[in-house]
Amino acid sequence: MTQVSEAPERVRPRGERSLRLARLVGAKIGGGLVSLFLVAVLGFLLFRVLPGDPARAMTRGAPVSAEQLAALRHRFGLDQPLWKQFLDFLVNLLHGDLGVSYTYSRPVAELIAERFWPTVLLTGTSTVIAVLLGLWMGTRAAWRHGGTFDRLSSSVALSLWSVPTFWLGLILLMALGVGVGPLPGLFPVSGMSAPDVPPGLLPRVLDTAHHLVLPCVTMVAVVYAQYLMVMRSSLLEEMGEDYLTTARAKGLREDLVRRRHAVPNALLPTVTLIFLHLGLVVAGAITVETVFSWPGLGLLTYEALRGPDLPLLQGTFIVLAGSVIVMNILADLLYHVLDPRVRGS
Amino acid sequence: MSAPATPRAIAWSRRGATLAESWRVYRRDRGGLVGLALLVVIVALAVLAPVLTDGSGLNVTRVDAAPLQPPSASHWLGTDESGRSVLLLTWWGARMSLVIGLAAAALSVVIGTVVGVLAAHFGGWTSTLLMRFTDFFLVLPALVLAIALSTVLTRGLGTIVLAIGVTSWPQTARLVRAQTLTVETRPYIERAKALGGGHRHVIGKHVLPAVLPLVFATTTLTVASAIIAESTLSFLGLGDPSRVSWGAMLKSAMDTGAVTAGAWWYLLPPGLGIAIVVLSFTLCGRALETVFNPRLRGVGA
Amino acid sequence: MGRKIVALLAASLMVALVPAVATATAAPAAAQQDGDQGATLRVGLQQEFDSLNPFLGFSLASTQVFKLIYPTLTTYAAEDFGVVPDLATEWKHSRDELTWTFTIRRGVKWSDGEPVTAHDVAYTFNRMMTDPAAATANGNYVDNFAAVTAPDDRTVVIRTEKPQATMLSLAIPIVPEHVWSKIDDVADFANQRMPIVGSGPFVATEYRPQQSLTLKTDEDFWRGPAKIDELRFVNFENSDAAVQALRKGEIDVVRKLTPTQFDALAGASNIERVEGQGRRFFEVILNPGATNSAGTPIGTGHPALRDVRVRRAIDRAINREVLVERVLGGYGQLGGGYLPPIFADYHWTPPPRLKRPFDIPAANRALDAAGYLRGPDGTRRTPEGEPLNFEFVLHGDEPVDARVGEYLKGWLSRLGINVTLQPVSDNQVNERTTAGDFDMVISGWSANPDPDYVLRLQTCSARPTPGGGGLPDSFLCDRRYDDLYARQLAEFDHDKRVELVKQAQRRFHTQATGLILFYPNSLEAYRSDRFGDFTTQPADDGVITGQQSYWGYYQAEPTSKAIAGTGGTDYGTVALVLGVVIVLGGGVTGLVALRRRATAGDRE
Repeated sequence: MTQVSEAPERVRPRGERSLRLARLVGAKIGGGLVSLFLVAVLGFLLFRVLPGDPARAMTRGAPVSAEQLAALRHRFGLDQPLWKQFLDFLVNLLHGDLGVSYTYSRPVAELIAERFWPTVLLTGTSTVIAVLLGLWMGTRAAWRHGGTFDRLSSSVALSLWSVPTFWLGLILLMALGVGVGPLPGLFPVSGMSAPDVPPGLLPRVLDTAHHLVLPCVTMVAVVYAQYLMVMRSSLLEEMGEDYLTTARAKGLREDLVRRRHAVPNALLPTVTLIFLHLGLVVAGAITVETVFSWPGLGLLTYEALRGPDLPLLQGTFIVLAGSVIVMNILADLLYHVLDPRVRGS
Repeated sequence: MSAPATPRAIAWSRRGATLAESWRVYRRDRGGLVGLALLVVIVALAVLAPVLTDGSGLNVTRVDAAPLQPPSASHWLGTDESGRSVLLLTWWGARMSLVIGLAAAALSVVIGTVVGVLAAHFGGWTSTLLMRFTDFFLVLPALVLAIALSTVLTRGLGTIVLAIGVTSWPQTARLVRAQTLTVETRPYIERAKALGGGHRHVIGKHVLPAVLPLVFATTTLTVASAIIAESTLSFLGLGDPSRVSWGAMLKSAMDTGAVTAGAWWYLLPPGLGIAIVVLSFTLCGRALETVFNPRLRGVGA
Repeated sequence: MGRKIVALLAASLMVALVPAVATATAAPAAAQQDGDQGATLRVGLQQEFDSLNPFLGFSLASTQVFKLIYPTLTTYAAEDFGVVPDLATEWKHSRDELTWTFTIRRGVKWSDGEPVTAHDVAYTFNRMMTDPAAATANGNYVDNFAAVTAPDDRTVVIRTEKPQATMLSLAIPIVPEHVWSKIDDVADFANQRMPIVGSGPFVATEYRPQQSLTLKTDEDFWRGPAKIDELRFVNFENSDAAVQALRKGEIDVVRKLTPTQFDALAGASNIERVEGQGRRFFEVILNPGATNSAGTPIGTGHPALRDVRVRRAIDRAINREVLVERVLGGYGQLGGGYLPPIFADYHWTPPPRLKRPFDIPAANRALDAAGYLRGPDGTRRTPEGEPLNFEFVLHGDEPVDARVGEYLKGWLSRLGINVTLQPVSDNQVNERTTAGDFDMVISGWSANPDPDYVLRLQTCSARPTPGGGGLPDSFLCDRRYDDLYARQLAEFDHDKRVELVKQAQRRFHTQATGLILFYPNSLEAYRSDRFGDFTTQPADDGVITGQQSYWGYYQAEPTSKAIAGTGGTDYGTVALVLGVVIVLGGGVTGLVALRRRATAGDRE
């Protein structure tokens, strides 16, 4: 939250300002790189402290001789000292090589690439919907603070927020996918496409959209509450500020005051928080994809838990954590570029 | 109250007065009251479960009801796949979910408070380093890290508590740091420092007591998210299936195909249990925040 | 400003979505080439293909596909698992039973038009014998091979080191030499270039990893083409999803149903259920004092379990009827002998004299008599005074394991034995079993028509080597058992071999190192409106999927409805539902906006 409440900068000469911006961008990117490096270290260490022999895990219970085990260890460099293993790991990581999955006998990077876009589709769609819904409802709730809408929307949001994502998914799946009593299942329960889809773009898009409905609704339901509450409270805070009183005193109409002044200023901290909490969206993706068998990174993570398939788990860990960090750096930069106080007038 | 006896007594009476004042503010928050009432009831039921119910009904070898039966007079919430009463399971499951939630929250808050206080109190390089560390963990998706941790460690109660506690502390750390910074600018702490009070004295006698109310409010909120995290980890199969918790119940329901069989009585109770407890903790936590954070009080309520 | 941010956000996300939709919707070109109507058999799988490389893949999903797209020398009849010719038309062995000669069928072609010859067979076997990576999946079949040669296009000669009774059950997919000789590193070869060059009733034509694998009927298959046109395996993450897809007619066959799902499908329209005997046995291993192949004691087994009297008493505290009824929902058979009853000739049931029926008082008396008396806390102790606290290792990912563990824990507590359940990952189960680090552990194997593989697991030579290799089961290592095992492997007279195998099972039973709890039935269901009766293996109480051959899929009988068209989703409804959602959403938004304007006006 310190990012949010930084003191406004004084306006400075143009040249100094762009220099300052460049330094800031450099610092942010540098910090981000350090974070990414830490993720790599964590990813490496976590899966090395595991009790047991990775070489044996690779054989998935197949009968192997001691020689075969030794050969495996040698092949994957497990007989090297730890620091050497880490260096190799880093070099491979920079080349986009995340090792080979035990379960699929295929490169982890390839598996992740296949699953990347479905996750973007699901999380992207639901984040956009949740953000728009949350911001709109939050604004309304704050503006009519204490009214029926405020109380109703806040309690609904809080209740949904208290529900475990996967459970909501299961209930929706049972009610709308499987069907209850005489009610037939309206939506598909699993996957991203039906086995038999007629050729052509339109049926396929329709089919994907049809499959997207339930997972998307589940994610939106659990996530939007947070945006609502954040927007509501930052708008409430904003409404207490002096300049709004000034604006009103100037005779501006109430909804103009809201639209021109309060909302834009309240949006900035909200958007930052949205990005800061992207980890929650990732968590949602893991459970929602598991419930609805959506073929994305979350489901891949879940699949990797069986066994466990350590290289795959390590890969998804690094990619998920890494992308959240990258998104945060981007948001941070965006914030500094867009913030009217930083930009100067 | 009137006769100024020892400084200790003064401190106590002052604390008593603060408490009474806090309660007065808390009482104004209707949501907070509802949450508190619900929590008292649920915790009482959970603690008294061995007295009020027959625990042997959880032993699969001692039951003979038919499996997966819908609610009836003998089993108000139906039975699970082994013929055990879902009502009894939900009742006893509350114990495990609450214990895990509280333990994980306690661990998380301890880590967060230590990091936050140290970062604020010492400043300089320590602070920069600690806050970088905190920021890193704040951004890291907690569930992903918790999954990795619980895969790597042996399954069991301790692992779940550890996985949740170790991943959910950064928020607390930031909050505590901010609060400590404000507290340390107060004159009496300046004075204590000037009088040669060591770090331990200043932190233990002055900073911690001033920060603790806020920490208490945060803990309440952290319990809520820890309970959700427990159920999520159990659902992903990283829990301890041999213990009855709400998450483990939902996992068993999934595994036996309760969704296909339409066994809503098996899916609803544990989920609603989680929702109610989490909601209660959240309501209490928000009310407490208003109490201890006057700035919020002005705008909210 | 805020609006711009939102717009920017939305726009960037939308841009990000485009490739997602594009990849998701890229029409599979290969599958839709010919427009002629033919039946597609769609099978739901809850398991991924671990590899399409026949030298590497050994998940059931993959081995099934290999049986459909690659030839084997012999295969198993649908009726009774009898050995019948496949690629080999006939075979004979020398008097010393060390040299086997197979004659290869004439006129069989690979799907790229090249003929299938004896050289392909010799190449496949030799590659497995010389390249460790190629031995990953089926190496155990060729362990005992001395040399494999192809003197001409029609003849394969295999020489073995020792007599081997399993020569007619070599379930090794034969691969085309002209394709595979170009592959240097088998371990890194995914074999995903479609169509896969093979020879069998089907040809793999399209693979969408983790989504589906499509096979086309091979019109030139030497037994004649299958009646279906296409066979598609569709991946599902969980069986609930697969069941829903079956109900909606999106797939035709589901396998591996849970008892609850099987019951839920009773009476569903157009759905036929198939309950077949399983090939799997489910056992609890009691650590009898594990040793490695050098005879050195290893692991952390409890000393009390070295006493066969304790092991037998534990067996008497297990109520198998309750386990089958409760854990399997009645869909399974009571555990008895080592080999499951689906293999009727080898299956052995303990005679009444050797049976150990459920009787907790009797078990308690037996433990008292053996000198394991209860301490003041009610827990029994060894004569040396060590309390009977057992660690029970379970597969954490297997719901059945957890449930069986609960029951055993409950029953053993009545004997004064404390059981701690330890659910761990599959890797750790394997590792702890191999290291002997357990008191009790759950195990289970799918038996083959030829019992050699599972029988071998209990021999001394199956114990781990000091370096950690090997795959032991119950660490039985019993001289008499090993003697019976060796004799059955060298016995070529079927009846005599059956007798030896039964004696070995009897010895295994009396030693009580592995307690066979039950044999789960295999539960399947199919769309009866699209397919007629399936050929099951075996004919009585058999299975459709997971056969030891290709009959179930190859002989599938589509109904006229299946031949006429698809049974999939109705796109009119889909469009309608979506349309309604959009209109409703738009309507609500509009209304709200209007109301808002109105109230805003009022307030001013």
